[in-house]
Amino acid sequence: MPEDILYSIRNLTVEYGTRAGPVRAVDNLSLDIRRGEILGLVGESGCGKSTIGKALMRLHEVPARITAGELWFDGRNLMELPAGKMPEIRGAEIGMVFQDPMTSLDPVESILDHLTETVLTHEPKTSGAAAKKRAEELVERLGIRRERLKEYPHQMSGGMRQRVMISLALALRAKLVIADEPTTSLDVIVEAKILDLLKELQKEFNLTILLITHNIGVVAEVADRVAVMYAARLAEVGTAEEVFANPKHPYTQGLLKSVPNIELNSAELYKMGGQPPSLLHPPKGCRFHPRCPLVMDICSKEEPEFEPVIGDHLASCWLYQEHEGRGSSERHEVHNA
Amino acid sequence: MPKNPVETPEILPEGASWEVELNRVGFVRRLLMARRWYGADWWFVAIGGVAVVAFIIVALFPGLFAPYSPFVQVGPPFLAPEAHVDMPVLIVPKKSSVKSLQDLAVPPDANRPQISVVEGYPTAGALNTESQKIDEQIKDEPRGLRLRPVIDRYPSLQETLHAVVDGQDNASVVQESQFKSVAASFPSLREAAPIQGGAFSAGGFILGTNDIGQDVLSRLLWGTRIALTIGFSSSIVSLLVGVPLGLLAGFGGGLFDRLLSLLMDSLYAFPGLILAIAITAVLGPSMLNIIVAISVLYVPTYYRIVRGQTLSVKEEVYVEAARSIGARRLEILSQYVFPNVIQSVAIIFSVNVADAILTGAGLSFLGLGLPPTMADWGIDLARGQTFIQTAWWMITFPGLAILMVVLAFTLMGEGLMEIYNPKLRER
Amino acid sequence: MSPIAIIALLIGVPSLLGLAIVFLRGSPGLRRYILTRIVLTLPMVFILGTMVFIVLRVMPGDPVTSALGPKGTPQQIQDMRAALGLNDPLIVQYGRFLWSMVTLRFGNSLIGGHRPIIAEMSERFPATLELIVPSSILALLIGIFGGALAAANRKHATDFGMRIYAVVIYSLPVFWLGLILQLFFGIVLKWLPISGRIDPIIGTTLKTVTNIYSLDALISGNWPAFFSVLQHLVLPTLTLGLILSGVFVRMTRINVIETLHTDYIAAARARGIRERAVVYGHALKNAMIPVITLIGLQVAILLAGAVLTETVFSWPGMGSYLVERISARDYTAVQSVITVFALLVALISLAVDVIYSIVDPRVKY
Repeated sequence: MPEDILYSIRNLTVEYGTRAGPVRAVDNLSLDIRRGEILGLVGESGCGKSTIGKALMRLHEVPARITAGELWFDGRNLMELPAGKMPEIRGAEIGMVFQDPMTSLDPVESILDHLTETVLTHEPKTSGAAAKKRAEELVERLGIRRERLKEYPHQMSGGMRQRVMISLALALRAKLVIADEPTTSLDVIVEAKILDLLKELQKEFNLTILLITHNIGVVAEVADRVAVMYAARLAEVGTAEEVFANPKHPYTQGLLKSVPNIELNSAELYKMGGQPPSLLHPPKGCRFHPRCPLVMDICSKEEPEFEPVIGDHLASCWLYQEHEGRGSSERHEVHNA
Repeated sequence: MPKNPVETPEILPEGASWEVELNRVGFVRRLLMARRWYGADWWFVAIGGVAVVAFIIVALFPGLFAPYSPFVQVGPPFLAPEAHVDMPVLIVPKKSSVKSLQDLAVPPDANRPQISVVEGYPTAGALNTESQKIDEQIKDEPRGLRLRPVIDRYPSLQETLHAVVDGQDNASVVQESQFKSVAASFPSLREAAPIQGGAFSAGGFILGTNDIGQDVLSRLLWGTRIALTIGFSSSIVSLLVGVPLGLLAGFGGGLFDRLLSLLMDSLYAFPGLILAIAITAVLGPSMLNIIVAISVLYVPTYYRIVRGQTLSVKEEVYVEAARSIGARRLEILSQYVFPNVIQSVAIIFSVNVADAILTGAGLSFLGLGLPPTMADWGIDLARGQTFIQTAWWMITFPGLAILMVVLAFTLMGEGLMEIYNPKLRER
Repeated sequence: MSPIAIIALLIGVPSLLGLAIVFLRGSPGLRRYILTRIVLTLPMVFILGTMVFIVLRVMPGDPVTSALGPKGTPQQIQDMRAALGLNDPLIVQYGRFLWSMVTLRFGNSLIGGHRPIIAEMSERFPATLELIVPSSILALLIGIFGGALAAANRKHATDFGMRIYAVVIYSLPVFWLGLILQLFFGIVLKWLPISGRIDPIIGTTLKTVTNIYSLDALISGNWPAFFSVLQHLVLPTLTLGLILSGVFVRMTRINVIETLHTDYIAAARARGIRERAVVYGHALKNAMIPVITLIGLQVAILLAGAVLTETVFSWPGMGSYLVERISARDYTAVQSVITVFALLVALISLAVDVIYSIVDPRVKY
């Protein structure tokens, strides 16, 4: 594995067993996360992005199962580890920040307890006093006064709780931090603060962050690279600049058009037609084709590959790929919003 | 890759908007599909359901299954299970061709047969009864034989049997156990058929007899009828009272709701058995009174569940919508609230019956519920307690019966509850 | 001092003390809540008492003629009715009844010696207490750990086994379990006694102070008595405790399972907390909170079970007293006993609510 890639996801498939049959929340997905970057994973609700987040730590619960793929983290395939070894990695090497900090913190434990427990679990030889000191230093770095450590989760504000969550993820200097919708439950001002905090922390601790969100604005703020997910598959991956300036996949284009833009003086907000597809019975061919404004014949028949369009900018769309009944001379020029 | 265990499907990929598709699975289909999903619970329902049906059949037709009447003495008291009943038997010389008492019948003018018995034993009576019976049967036959034996009484067993050996008597009638104990010293004698004239049939008593000689098994089977009657009747009455009250309270609200709920909560918190004891004590022992007493106990259960469901349905948007279209209260009730409620109630019913049977048995165990002449498990257990040192079967089997029946209903109820509505747990 | 007074002190003083501490140190919201809760207990007692009254007075069946039997002369009947105040208007009787509930002056027993009922209860109540407390502890221990074990091993053999256990125990008639235990341990194996609270001969050496024999034996250092009491306690406690444990196993299991699906448990796992700590530390702790309220409801089952258990083991407690008095048609006593039960239920319910409000840090007022 090349040195600069921290986490290489290869052909990952995660299935849920449901009453009506197996559902693939993640379907043969491959993605690389590079060291020191902030990778934004974007998509609508129900597209499978949270599932990936959990899967990276093998944290998913029955009835979800990883049925295929390899998870190469820092040179090791996590899928080959016995399940009992995973807790050693969780929290210590890979950390996770959850969406709703109110429900993600144990209501009957104080903040201090949360932190010291985490430290002591992974480094049992630490003394109680040393653990407490580490906890104090950590939260102060994150902007919480150390006197507040003895409080309980319900006594804190949303933003503060989220800082606690982040501090928990960093308690042991994890290499990779997975942030699953970290600002969705926060108001805009607090959100901005938290995002700034994440950027600072990333530089200071040289973190790698996978930021999972449905909010394109958040991704634009902080991400170095962007991955767009649709219906359990990747639609597009590239650097943030590239993807925002020249989105290739029609879905990405639609997403970007949907962001309300004060400068555009249009009467209506742009809305992408249609509904997210059922993962129980995904559409044949390209999964986006029922909603795609640029749909062609081939789209309803065969699925496009996920291939580079320009350099490191990849997309899965027939617009950029060779197929029967069409030569390369008919490639469209795509106009952006 | 691990095999797909296919567990509870309640967890879905986040934000799946196509959940509705999954929820449209109907009642019966869900039950059938439940086998894959809920494993243990499905088996609970299946086994419980089959057992319940079996018990209902026994309760409806106990006579078909019970070997004897449960109310009369059919055997010697305190007979252990499968113990051999000691009958009086006919003893004859080995070389004789006599097989049973009837074979000793002779023409009216011939010598009457002479039969020896031991003094002081009831065998003479049995002999007389049986001979008279056989005599009645055969005297009108063409052959015209009669059986009017002469009974010779001897002071001891030895002499009784010797009389046959010496030829003084044609045969002897003694208890089977007696003969067996000395059979070795009388090699020339053998056992013929038993004399049926005793008060007891020779049939086996699979589970033994109780203190007054009633067959335990028969009482068990007949007891099913009482237990199930009490169980079903009281549950149905509770349902008929509790459900409408719950609907009214939940839908109407206001002071009525508050007062009624206060009453029901108090009732619910109070130990049911003790309240039932009080009621039966005052009303007196009878089947009807037990049913009334137990019904009172479970009204709050139905009330609470139904009221809770009504309240949550009431808040549903579509009920508001229906109201705004002008649908009348009753229509709203019947169309929207009822179907939800019925499902919950049906599930509670099963466990309710189980509870009611337990309470009923407890009441009759304490001597408070049923008149002591009835063949009921609780009564049998109370009786058995007095003789626990000597007749273990008197308490073991009735209690086992209670356990089996209650278990059947509980299994069914538990399983259904897990499959259909795990939120229903607060009872 | 009468035993009941002693017990009232033993339980009452720490409770009041605890209540006072919570009251003084708690937030104003907590105080208001506790006060409200105490006040709300009154309607409950009121309602239960009224129910008892109605059941025993208004329903058919004349207590006096039943009590005196066929030998009662009309004059005796008249006298007794007057003495019991049965000729007064119902309202007056009701008022008198409520008053007797409050002051615990229950009058005298109708039958057999006309002892003051309160004196008899004084002897019986501690016996019931001595049975109930260890049974509850046993039930809780089995229930909590069994339930947590089952939840931790969901869908595996342990879980299945625990569910079967809970269902079977629930379906077991408590009196039958008692009889079977008597049969097996008392008669077949002859290891343990099957009736009474203490060996009669040793019992004469016991100086009773609280009427809780085990405590009394400890107080007076009477070791043979202590061991005899323990011996006699084993089977009844096992009976009542096992039956009750089924309910607790079920409740704990369900609550722990629900808790295990919460976000904070997932978050804890994401931090690498070992599964054992997750289940028995975080999940159980949180799951226990709702269980506390449910414990209050189980008092009903506990008392009902106590009545039956005491009958089976000839344990001279309130339960067997109730049954005896009913057979003897002693309505005054019956009424009093049921009233005491109602008070007990109301008080325990109150105590549980208050404890819950203290234990759960999330509860806001």
